[in-house]
Amino acid sequence: MTDALPSPETVVVVSAFALIYMLVLLRKTMQGKFDLYDFLMLSMVAIIPAGFTLFPTLAYLVSHLTGVVFPFVVMFGALFLVVFAFMHNMTARLHRLERQNFALIQEQSLLVLELQAKEGRRGVES
Amino acid sequence: MADMGLGLGSTDTCRNGAAAPQQGTSRVLIIIPCFNEEASVGGLLSEIAATGRGYHTLVVDDGSSDATSAVASCRSPVARLAQNLGIGGAVQTGIKYAARQDFDFCIQIDGDGQHDPRAIETLLEAYRNDPTNITIGSRFIDHAGFCSTRMRRAGIRLIVLALNGLFSGGRITDPTSGMRLLDRSAIAFFAKAYPTDFPEPISLAWAMRAGLTVSEVPVEMRARETGVSSIDGLKSASYMIRVLGYILLARLVRAS
Repeated sequence: MTDALPSPETVVVVSAFALIYMLVLLRKTMQGKFDLYDFLMLSMVAIIPAGFTLFPTLAYLVSHLTGVVFPFVVMFGALFLVVFAFMHNMTARLHRLERQNFALIQEQSLLVLELQAKEGRRGVES
Repeated sequence: MADMGLGLGSTDTCRNGAAAPQQGTSRVLIIIPCFNEEASVGGLLSEIAATGRGYHTLVVDDGSSDATSAVASCRSPVARLAQNLGIGGAVQTGIKYAARQDFDFCIQIDGDGQHDPRAIETLLEAYRNDPTNITIGSRFIDHAGFCSTRMRRAGIRLIVLALNGLFSGGRITDPTSGMRLLDRSAIAFFAKAYPTDFPEPISLAWAMRAGLTVSEVPVEMRARETGVSSIDGLKSASYMIRVLGYILLARLVRAS
């Protein structure tokens, strides 16, 4: 099943990238720029290639099970899946935020009108 | 401002599901959505006042960068939106206001001077004679006045075919008309949800899907006094495709 294993150089480069990238993500998450879901999804860019590199036997097993000849095709497929899931979620969040933004802007303008009407009535009474 | 004596004092539940107001007088709100209409909104408000009907008005300033609010606020309450929400967001602001202030009717007219305020009475008269939840002022019944370009009319005909073919609840000839009367049921419905994209035709699809009734009355429209339409050239084709898509979607998705 295992045709070729990644060279030690490949393992070092991919692991180093995963480590550095995840440290950067972790820092930004701790700064509050991302939430835990964003951290998890963005981490996949590092976790999936690292998994395929560090566990080549598993990579070949997965590619064999999915009927895809090359493990790197499976890896890119998995990455695309994560990206699409992330995009799907982001689009839904964006749409929800947009609707909330609409409603807030409308509410604000109507509250100003209400306030003006109340002030007008108070002015007439006094 | 005075309330309108529409003579709708009957307690009958009107046919087609539209419920008539219970009191002898009806409160009518004219919603005027505006975006950079400082040149026309003042004249429009004067024309409304000149009808002598004492309509309540609400100008919704959709994030204008000119003096629309300043000009309008001399003659009418103005709801100023902090950001441009588009025509759908602006109109819904007015509808929410109508719902909260307990108006019996709200009538939407454009702030660019295309609609003759004297036609407001025509809409109210049409409601009196044949109460439906939404009464549209249609350019395409009598074909009088400004009827848009030939290309647009062809596009509008497609939308008409889609709406009349996919929904029951009324025969429509002018789904893109920005002059329409809403009764209490329609006000309550649209205060909850109103389309932000292409609101005129899509709102009709949503309303008919929810069982609201629609009728039309012929009105004459004028050519735009100032500014240019936002739907021109290639945008028209995109507009058509998207509107038809939304109408189809409205048919496929159940009313919530």
